[in-house]
Amino acid sequence: MHFDFDVIVVGAGHAGIEACLATSRLGLKTLVVTTNIERIGYMSCNPSIGGLAKGHMVREIDVLGGQMGLAADATCIQFKRLNATKGPAVRGSRVQNDKQLYSDFMQATLRQQKNLSLKEAEVKRLILDGDLCCGVVLDDGSEIRSKVVVITAGTFMNGVMHVGLEQTPGGRVGDKASVGLSDQLRDFGFTVRRLKTGTPARLLKSSIDWSKTEPQPGDERFYPFSFRSPSTYQLPQVDCYLSRTNERTHEIIRANLDKSPMYCGLIEGTGPRYCPSIEDKVVRFADRTGHQTFLEPEGLNTDLIYLQGISTSLPQDIQQQFLETISGLENVKVARYGYAVEYDFIEPTQIWHRLETRPIRKLFLAGQINGTSGYEEAAAQGFIAGVNAAHSLLGREEFILGRDEAYAGVLIDDLVTKGTREPYRMFTSRAEHRLILREDNTLDRLYAQAEKLGLQSETTLGQVQALKMRRNILREKLKSERITPKVETLAILKEIPSPVLTKSLSFEEFLRRTEIRSLDLLRFGFEIDQDPNVNEAVEIEVKYEGYIRRQMDLIASAKKSEDLLLPTDLDYKLIRGLSNEEIEKLFRVKPRTLGQAQRISGVNPSATQAIMIHLKAHGKSNESRNRQYTNFLEN
Amino acid sequence: MSLIGIEGRDQQTICALSTPPGHGGLAVIRVSGSQAYNKVHQLASFLPKLPESHRVYYGHLKSMDSSRNLDEVLVTYFQSGRSFTGEEVVEISCHGSPVVARSVLEELVRTGCRLADRGEFTFRAFMAGRLDLVQAESILSLIESKSEASAQQSLRQLGGDLSKKLLAIENDLIWCLAHIEASIDFSTEGLEVVSNQELKEKFTAVQIQLQKLTESYQTGRLLRDGLNLVLLGEPNVGKSSLLNCLVGEDRAIVTEIAGTTRDTVEASFLLNGVRVSVTDTAGLRETQDRVESLGIERSLRAAKESDHIFYIFDSAEPLLKTDLLRIGEIQPHKLSLIGNKRDKVPAAQISSLKDLVGTQLQTLKNFQNEPDFSTWLQGQVHFVSALDEDCSLVLKKALSSKIEMEDFGDEALISQARHFENLTKALENMRRSQDLLLENVSPELLAMEMKDSLLCLQETLGQRFDDQIMDRVFKEFCIGK
Repeated sequence: MHFDFDVIVVGAGHAGIEACLATSRLGLKTLVVTTNIERIGYMSCNPSIGGLAKGHMVREIDVLGGQMGLAADATCIQFKRLNATKGPAVRGSRVQNDKQLYSDFMQATLRQQKNLSLKEAEVKRLILDGDLCCGVVLDDGSEIRSKVVVITAGTFMNGVMHVGLEQTPGGRVGDKASVGLSDQLRDFGFTVRRLKTGTPARLLKSSIDWSKTEPQPGDERFYPFSFRSPSTYQLPQVDCYLSRTNERTHEIIRANLDKSPMYCGLIEGTGPRYCPSIEDKVVRFADRTGHQTFLEPEGLNTDLIYLQGISTSLPQDIQQQFLETISGLENVKVARYGYAVEYDFIEPTQIWHRLETRPIRKLFLAGQINGTSGYEEAAAQGFIAGVNAAHSLLGREEFILGRDEAYAGVLIDDLVTKGTREPYRMFTSRAEHRLILREDNTLDRLYAQAEKLGLQSETTLGQVQALKMRRNILREKLKSERITPKVETLAILKEIPSPVLTKSLSFEEFLRRTEIRSLDLLRFGFEIDQDPNVNEAVEIEVKYEGYIRRQMDLIASAKKSEDLLLPTDLDYKLIRGLSNEEIEKLFRVKPRTLGQAQRISGVNPSATQAIMIHLKAHGKSNESRNRQYTNFLEN
Repeated sequence: MSLIGIEGRDQQTICALSTPPGHGGLAVIRVSGSQAYNKVHQLASFLPKLPESHRVYYGHLKSMDSSRNLDEVLVTYFQSGRSFTGEEVVEISCHGSPVVARSVLEELVRTGCRLADRGEFTFRAFMAGRLDLVQAESILSLIESKSEASAQQSLRQLGGDLSKKLLAIENDLIWCLAHIEASIDFSTEGLEVVSNQELKEKFTAVQIQLQKLTESYQTGRLLRDGLNLVLLGEPNVGKSSLLNCLVGEDRAIVTEIAGTTRDTVEASFLLNGVRVSVTDTAGLRETQDRVESLGIERSLRAAKESDHIFYIFDSAEPLLKTDLLRIGEIQPHKLSLIGNKRDKVPAAQISSLKDLVGTQLQTLKNFQNEPDFSTWLQGQVHFVSALDEDCSLVLKKALSSKIEMEDFGDEALISQARHFENLTKALENMRRSQDLLLENVSPELLAMEMKDSLLCLQETLGQRFDDQIMDRVFKEFCIGK
């Protein structure tokens, strides 16, 4: 059969970008089809990347060879380390971006990428040969054949925008919806559901009375996402501003709930509980007299301000009314009103960990189509889907990150195991091994994987190696050199202040003192590597060693069931002691491991016990991985 | 594990005697599995084709070939989904003779039933989701409970009282964790998260509840296992007479010849609802050369294995050197000193005798550390005569402080070692959490301690997968229950 391309990626949002860059960089001839080339890497909602747990994922895919971190660093106009005063595992980097520059950066990257072509068109449906996907049909009826297809359609599949009681088809203001694709998938037997998301109004900077708001400056110190980025700001930095809603705002909203599509039953999709619209906030938290909102600039050279926290789908005149009650917005001019989008997503329990669908071979899904929300969640999936799409053609092993390796691993395992009923967002609390999934040790966690993947250049890998080496040297030095209770030492301790030293200690033990920071060691004559990438990471390892060790023990104890692979053809009906509900769920999810089976909601511990007993009885526990590979490669 | 490993084993219909083996008024044989009724029907032609669930049928059970009449029986049918195991169950009540029970079981096996393994009925019930782990353990206790108070305690656990309590604690813990997690993941969203003060209060409440439960273990264990009392002493000081006096029957043979009791004799009696089992050790007389070493060794072992020791001596020969050597190895709180044969000493001398014993004991290291020696002396040294009517009363009074249980009223207690271990761990984790909270450490570290605590609770409730627990639980089960 003739193939026009090895890989077709449908969509060029945050997932599509990572997917197509991964496949083309792995040497495969790739085509990206997008409905609007100008909107490659467009930030449809907030002009910001990162945040708790999300920042972790940006770093993770950056180490592996992803693009998001580089773009976010290059277009950063404000940086903040969230939870800076809390422990290292729950700190998260977040940047505000110049939205246009971000999109430009990504567009340029794609245009310059070898093996990669761009096409502006709408994909109407897939070309299927039985259960094998082999290309796409465009809106002009033309067919493009490929060996693999990755769909990253975002909110565009049967997208409908709501403002008040008005509905317009579309996935985003100014962009039309894609119709056809999700119907084809539904007809093929996929479970397709609706989700809803919303976005707030964009305001004109010049119409805001800034004196009535509270400036929120960024951090002085920049910690870029990518270790390939310069460690200084590349653009001028700006402030965000804080304001609040009040009782008057809430009254207007309450009085007009009947005009909200969410409240009069027009929207059937489920919205995110963690990112409620202002209507939701007012109704569900009726006793609160105000909600904070951040006014975030969308760029350096634009007059647009993003109103974080106030997403709404009320009619435009009502939006105007309630906005004017907010301090600083008395005379506000709105560039674009808020709206809600409803869209189709594919219940993600229908895909494998490698993000290939179960029903259709050589079809990979990534991003919001799998029920997630957020640019970072999308990018992480896009990257994994791209790598696996490529691997399936290159005859390489599937690429799956463990829950103890990366947030990206937690994300995908959650999706394919539990499915989702609301847009899935990553939180640190979703990671049971949170203490070892830190931003500072991303390199350590994923270097070996990066090396194996081969998406990073030799030079880059060499730099990472060198950095790791410097960390090791410092650690060894801390262990071997000692601090002794001399007169000068005691004087400095008093100054800091830190308790007196009664006997000599290794510098490592000394650094465990809460009040002692790594750079303090210089004062005691200890020569320390002054690169924060070195000393901060080592300091964390030393200070939290006890906790880290406990976490490692937990991982080791979970390993037993994580390593017990389940045959893909396991007949759960034959297992004694499973309820009908459990049988149905196990058949649907087809867990890879006993560990995954345990995480399926509604599958009780006694059921995992029963599965294990059954496997012991039938001696069938370890064939699955081979079988999965074989299936994967045969496709 | 014997319960698993054979193809189709769990599909087979199983049978076993559910009442204790031996002679009794009644013996109950239980049959469980998809063919249970079918199989029994082959022996009981009086049964209807379509039985009603939970109904009792009366008739004569015959052998497979109808040649022999086995017994006159009552047969109760439980339809699948409405029985203890979740499967179709038939219970046959026959006359309580081992011969009858055995022949009924033999015939059932002839129809194709398999004899059940140890704990297999409960295992099936657990697998069918009819029981949670705590309840499964309670059944074991209920069946093995040896006193009424204990049986009631088991019933309460079976009803889920303990589970309910644990679930309430779990609920509190999850509440705290939810707040802590929110303070991490939503720190920028201006949430009104709970204050440290509120957390502290909740922590304290959880700790108090956990503590109460772990403290109830002593009582729960007494109710379940009873108290083990050991009688120690030189030969011929009258240990066996005192044993008979306690138990109220001639359980041990009493003679005038020293060393009559060659083996340990066990007997038991109920005291305030607690089963006390008494072990009368063979007299501690030894051959000349090994006198001290062996005697001490034996008392050491007895002390270790028992809950309490009555050390008995002859009132006319208060504490010999060998007595003191043995007593020196026993912790005072596990010990009562009983001077027997008080009739050999004039009544007026008894109180000075007590002083003498006190002086002797104070030479021992283990008693020098005893903070409240005089109280101990007052409460734990008694002079009796096995011939006196009030002898048993005095002895039982000496024991009463040992079986004094905290009054937990109708509340659920813990009586399983596994629960005790887990809840103690949970409590320790909560204490550490509290310390961390006071030290103001970062919340994710706090959350880690709390999650450990939560895991301990969930493990107790059997909500956590751990094959070791299962092995341990099911190993304890006796056949046919």
